[in-house]
Amino acid sequence: MSRIKTCVSLYSLQDQYMRHKMSLEDIFGFVSENNIQGIEILPDQMIHKAPHPDESTLQQWDSLINKYHLTPVCDDIFLNTNLYLNRELTKKECAELIIEEIKLANRLGFRLIRLVSMVPYHIIEPVLLYAEKYDVTLALEVHAGLGLDVPKTQEFIKEMIRINSPYIGLVMDASLFCRKLPRVMSEYCIHFGLNPKLVEYMDNIFEKNSDFRQVCLANNNTWPDEVKELAKSDIDKFFVNFAEGYENLSYSIMDEYMPYIKHFHFKLYEMTDEGEEYSIDYKSLIQYLHDHNYDHYVSTEYEGNRWVLPGHPIEEKKHVLSHQKMIHKYIKQIEG
Amino acid sequence: MFDNNVFVENSCHNIIKDGKITGFEMGTYITYYRGIPLSMVNDIRVEVDGEKVPRENILFSADGEDWFTLEEMTTVTTYKWEYDQVAHILVKKDGGLSKGIHGVKLAVITRTAYIPVPLEGEKMRQVVIE
Repeated sequence: MSRIKTCVSLYSLQDQYMRHKMSLEDIFGFVSENNIQGIEILPDQMIHKAPHPDESTLQQWDSLINKYHLTPVCDDIFLNTNLYLNRELTKKECAELIIEEIKLANRLGFRLIRLVSMVPYHIIEPVLLYAEKYDVTLALEVHAGLGLDVPKTQEFIKEMIRINSPYIGLVMDASLFCRKLPRVMSEYCIHFGLNPKLVEYMDNIFEKNSDFRQVCLANNNTWPDEVKELAKSDIDKFFVNFAEGYENLSYSIMDEYMPYIKHFHFKLYEMTDEGEEYSIDYKSLIQYLHDHNYDHYVSTEYEGNRWVLPGHPIEEKKHVLSHQKMIHKYIKQIEG
Repeated sequence: MFDNNVFVENSCHNIIKDGKITGFEMGTYITYYRGIPLSMVNDIRVEVDGEKVPRENILFSADGEDWFTLEEMTTVTTYKWEYDQVAHILVKKDGGLSKGIHGVKLAVITRTAYIPVPLEGEKMRQVVIE
């Protein structure tokens, strides 16, 4: 019996939803008919007026969950600390907003909240009672570019360890474990006039088992002169900035945090014709999780949508299904 | 990255009030992947035939009912621009867009707490006024 469970983040289908090609019910139907039982959502994306939706919206949610027999797995929330232009929210304001999110998560049937990266550590203590009362675990996302080396992540982890509650943990994002830079991103930027030498430069770094963020960190957290020379145009700089969002780390960085990892975003940029994700080696990642007794969900999160060339269709449904098929194949091989 | 969300095709048209053309309006989706309170919309920029529209002549409405200037929007936290909602951008201009073809450029800039740079998208469309 597999311990690793799978679900799909409806974030993957965001463009269909935004353009009214698929309603929430259409999306639930798609997920259900493809034998996917678990879902992850962003209430700010698909639940109007979140975190205070109308009663009719909540009733519709209940009826869809029942009709399609889906399990709410993870609720992705955000904290608008810069709600106002002229000041940051106070600690009390931050805690109050998180408490409202906890209540909504509970109402929607979620037992896990993903806190977006950079949520300040100081919310943990004041909201802990509510997390317990509403039986909702809060887990900070650790994403490439906003990973373990970032001070706000470190502060959160320090507080998480100090508090040591089963209701506080981490969500890992597979963008930390890219073995190649997503080519859909490079191709998108080339289309807009990117200097191709920058693609060669980045690909070369990945081939040497490193990534651009590590290169910058080793260079006083700035771009090396070589990159400054090559990156002249806006699209060049855009590409270099985004290249920091794909890291090439060893799975061993998770060793000490495994007891705290509650959920995993299985990022998806591009499924190849061979049925593999282009940048991430999921077979070895699933093997690592299996070897470390991971028994939570892994969630397909398609993000190639943002790199689809203008005028081309976004094939999110095809990519999501191919990704799920691959994950199931490896879980079966590895866990039996 | 969010350019494709900006400026819904065929949404630009003149606005007639009390028999007079008082400006023109266009629709746009948000340059983000989630809904946010209006105070987190950093800026809206409009250019017509290469000429920038003064910021104070631009009005915004998420629902098409309640309108705010961009300056007013900085304190509007009770109205949300939902992810799947086409917001209305109104440019006050006596006579609106004249008959003919115009190059209209719209830029939408939002901010978020965890990404240091604002999220911007822009789109230029050829608008035909008959």
